[in-house]
Amino acid sequence: MTPEPIILRLFLSALVALLVIAPDLMARGRPSAATLLNATLPALALLMPHGTLAYGLLALATGAQAYQARPAGLQAVAMLLVSALALGAAALLLAGPSALAFYMSILALILRAGLLGLHGGMSVLWRKLPTLQVQQYTTLLVLVFSHLRFSDHATAQAAADAIVVLGASSALVFGLTSLVQRNLDGLLRASMLMHGGFMIAATGAAGKGHAVAALFVSLSMTLAVVGLCLMVLALEARVGKVTLLHPGGRARAFPRLAAAFGIFGAAGVGMPGTAGFIADDLILHALWSESVYATIAVALASALLAIATLRAITLCFMGPQTGSVAPDLLPAERLFAFGLILLLLVSGLTPQLVVGASVGLFGSI
Amino acid sequence: MFDLGHLALVVAILSPLLAAIIAGSSMLIGTRIPGERTVVRMLWAGLLSALLASAFIATAYATSWPVPLHGEIDFGSWIAIGDYEIPAVFLVDQYAVAFSLLGAVLTALVARFSETYLHKDPGFFRFYVLLGLFAAGTQLLAFAGSLDLFFAGWEAIGIASALFIGFFHERAEPVRSAIRAFTTYRLCDVAFLIAIVATHELVGSTRLADLGRAESLPTLEVSLIAFLLLIAAFGKSAQLPFSGWLVRAMEGPTPSSALFYGGISIHAGLYLLLRTAPVLGMAPWAAMFGATVGLLTAFYASAVVRTQADAKGALAQATLAQIGLILAEICFGWTTLALVHLITHALLRVWQYLRAPNMLHDAHHHAHHEHRTHAATATDTALSRLRRRLYVEQLHRFRLDDRLDALVAPVLALAHWLQRIDERWFDRDERRRTDTEA
Repeated sequence: MTPEPIILRLFLSALVALLVIAPDLMARGRPSAATLLNATLPALALLMPHGTLAYGLLALATGAQAYQARPAGLQAVAMLLVSALALGAAALLLAGPSALAFYMSILALILRAGLLGLHGGMSVLWRKLPTLQVQQYTTLLVLVFSHLRFSDHATAQAAADAIVVLGASSALVFGLTSLVQRNLDGLLRASMLMHGGFMIAATGAAGKGHAVAALFVSLSMTLAVVGLCLMVLALEARVGKVTLLHPGGRARAFPRLAAAFGIFGAAGVGMPGTAGFIADDLILHALWSESVYATIAVALASALLAIATLRAITLCFMGPQTGSVAPDLLPAERLFAFGLILLLLVSGLTPQLVVGASVGLFGSI
Repeated sequence: MFDLGHLALVVAILSPLLAAIIAGSSMLIGTRIPGERTVVRMLWAGLLSALLASAFIATAYATSWPVPLHGEIDFGSWIAIGDYEIPAVFLVDQYAVAFSLLGAVLTALVARFSETYLHKDPGFFRFYVLLGLFAAGTQLLAFAGSLDLFFAGWEAIGIASALFIGFFHERAEPVRSAIRAFTTYRLCDVAFLIAIVATHELVGSTRLADLGRAESLPTLEVSLIAFLLLIAAFGKSAQLPFSGWLVRAMEGPTPSSALFYGGISIHAGLYLLLRTAPVLGMAPWAAMFGATVGLLTAFYASAVVRTQADAKGALAQATLAQIGLILAEICFGWTTLALVHLITHALLRVWQYLRAPNMLHDAHHHAHHEHRTHAATATDTALSRLRRRLYVEQLHRFRLDDRLDALVAPVLALAHWLQRIDERWFDRDERRRTDTEA
């Protein structure tokens, strides 16, 4: 058996920590104490050798996030529930993988990803605490990783079909609603939920041996969505909340922001050359063996979100140009944007770097 | 073994992409956006390298000198997980060499033309970066040895195409047209994606050289793959019922219209069918369907072109008519004729598009005279009423866009309904906020 590639886990751990502190670093130049806590716990969870420790740290992390999310009401309750489920999974995993631990873990994942019907607090959290929303979305990657590593394989196999169909249906509905959003927050929410559906479907397919595909999909979606969130935060810090009712004409005032926004948006919907393209390919192949309906739903969802994203880009940045006294992306923002784009490009052009290491971790497809 | 042939393939595909990435990165992390001369130099280096590499590959293919270069050129796996693989394989044959050379030459010509045409335009930098992306996509499309790689090139061309249509984004119409073209592309690409996955799962490989293995499949499964590929090709090559976006695509700058809708992009769908001709050959019903659609598009475009009042609009319809004929040729199995037709058509159209502004001037007097002649001979008979009715329909391009919009309307209504439910049950704050904004 191939030894576990510790480099992949170290890389993911560093990446998660960086993504969690990114909004604070971009906005204030230094992370707050709460942000540091939110970065450290999930990053450590990725390095843990045992499921109990990993889920225990995740429970702590989501519990801390739930406490910080009090102003968001419903979402704080959902996050607290995620924390309780992770704690339950941690306790059950003491005795080894079991069906109950699997269901607790997948339920936590579904709640965090915002499956259709359980997605209530997402937009409230984004409106009131956008930084925390980015942090909780990043933690989703850790939850997927832990689920893939420590869940019970027999139960995963039995539940795969249902999870795949649920995730794909959720993705399709949010792909559809992304077309009719009237403001940027709405689009971002639809995008996060659509990608959440992707991750749920991919995690379901992992039950039938597609764990590597699930990890790659989650990683690339996280990079693209977090990048998009950072660009939206940067834009809203300059011009306030953005509606999609009229052309905004901001491309000339913020050319770099517009370019980075476009690249993250495109990466999220499978632009060739980026990790998103490989992720789309992998998820479709993984889903085909489970359900042709899920394959078509996911392909359609991605196409619909692509159309909505292009519409949003045109309405945010194109049209009669308006001036702005606010600057384009500042050096720290540019650095983060460039770094994330580079990661998306490198993992898109040479996906085997990530895949090879993941195969050692999860076995072959 | 990695030899000169391998190197040439890498250079042909990656040099324009690298040029675009370097130019884009210098914009993103640099202190100021590079000037016209700098960006032209960067992109010229990439495009010229691609052109030279393409010429080298053509020479090596035709003469086996300095290295023999034909058939599958394997670079290993782009991605491999267990028995699942996206092979990094290229296919060098007469189709690939011809399409690659055509793309490289036309892109270089248009890049040179645009240097003057777009001088001092605010979008100059953007134009050249997109041209780099397009050139890389074209070369990848030309040499792709598997459907997965082909799709990567296909998508790169699609994205560049949409962004070129919306190039003059300060006006509303180009932006609307860009979204419409992109919508058509993406929805038809869903068919392509599913065709790729189905081919992989049913045939066991997405290598173009392995498509002959589809012969062992039941007719229904082969026909399904062929129909899906046809739909993808219809979208990219603007065949009925997806023809409406092409006229709108003329909102882009003339050089990009020439390159995309005269030269390369509009022929990409046909090139897909040339590459997957074995599948089409095994699915006679799909081939018959494709030929019918091609011929119908040719008739439709020939009728509409007679009423077009602008040069680029008329050229778009003329292009459509020829594309329809080439599609029929491919579906009849006349692939060599189709390739020759495709290349000569692309060369002629690029020249005509680039000359479009002058052509309008040249033709003005003639068109005016024609119109007066028609007006003088019109009488009020049943035949003339039918002709007038037909004329109005032609003028409105048989209201194809409206009919497609009517088909899409229920989907949008469903999206609005879902959004209202979402706001009512899950996001009341959002509802209050959007009501206030409205």
